[in-house]
Amino acid sequence: MARLLNEMKGAGVVSDYALFGATAQMRYTEPVATLDVDVLVVVPRPDRLDVLASLYEFCRRAGFLPEGEAVRVGAWPLQLVPTWDPLTREAVAQADTVDYEGVALRVVGAAHLALIALSVGRAKDCARILALLESGSVTTSEIAALAARHGLEERWQSFAARFLDA
Amino acid sequence: MPEPHERLDRQAAWQRSRRELPWPEKIRLALKLREAALRLRSAKTVPPSPPAGPSGGGSQP
Repeated sequence: MARLLNEMKGAGVVSDYALFGATAQMRYTEPVATLDVDVLVVVPRPDRLDVLASLYEFCRRAGFLPEGEAVRVGAWPLQLVPTWDPLTREAVAQADTVDYEGVALRVVGAAHLALIALSVGRAKDCARILALLESGSVTTSEIAALAARHGLEERWQSFAARFLDA
Repeated sequence: MPEPHERLDRQAAWQRSRRELPWPEKIRLALKLREAALRLRSAKTVPPSPPAGPSGGGSQP
C-alpha cells in the first residue's frame, strides 16, 4: 500500500497523500478495530467532476481493483478521500513521513488527527480524540490552539465540557 | 478471587500497554481484528432449539 501511494505521488496522480483515520491513530494508541484504510489525497485537478477517476485508473493499471467506494490492496480496502477543507489540506502538508518497514509513508500527525475527528464529530471520532489524549501524543492546549486557527473553538469547548471537564 | 473491576482494570492496563508495540505490528493486529469482525458480521444467528419435551433431550434419571 505504501509503495502504491508513493507511486501515485511520483506519477503526479496525486500531489500528496497522508494516512488518517484509525490506521494513523494506531501510531499513538493501542490497536483498534477498523474495516479499511483511509488516505487523504491532494489531487492536482480538484475542480474535475470525478476527481477520483484518474486515481482508480492508476490503481487498476497497477493491478488493484475498485471494490465499492474503495480500492482493494491486499487484505485492506483503501479509501482515497480528497482533502475537503483548509484543515485537511494543512494536515497533509504537515504530515509526518515515517519509515514503514523500509518504505516511506506519509501519515497525518496526532494534533491534526484529533482536529479532523473533532470536525467530523461522530461517536467514534470522539473516542479517537480521547484515545489520542490518553496516549499523550497530543495535549488539550495543542488541540485548542489548532481548533482556534480553524474556526472550531466552539466545537472544541463543547467537546471538552462533555468529555474532559469532570 | 479478585473483584471484577480489578480484573477489568488489569485488562484495560494490558490493552493500553499495546500502545508500545511498533506501528506495523499494530496494523497487523488490526488486520486480525478486522477479519474477526467480518466473520462475526457474517455469522448467522442460530435459532434457539425448541425446549425438550418429556420424551426427548435432557438427562434421564
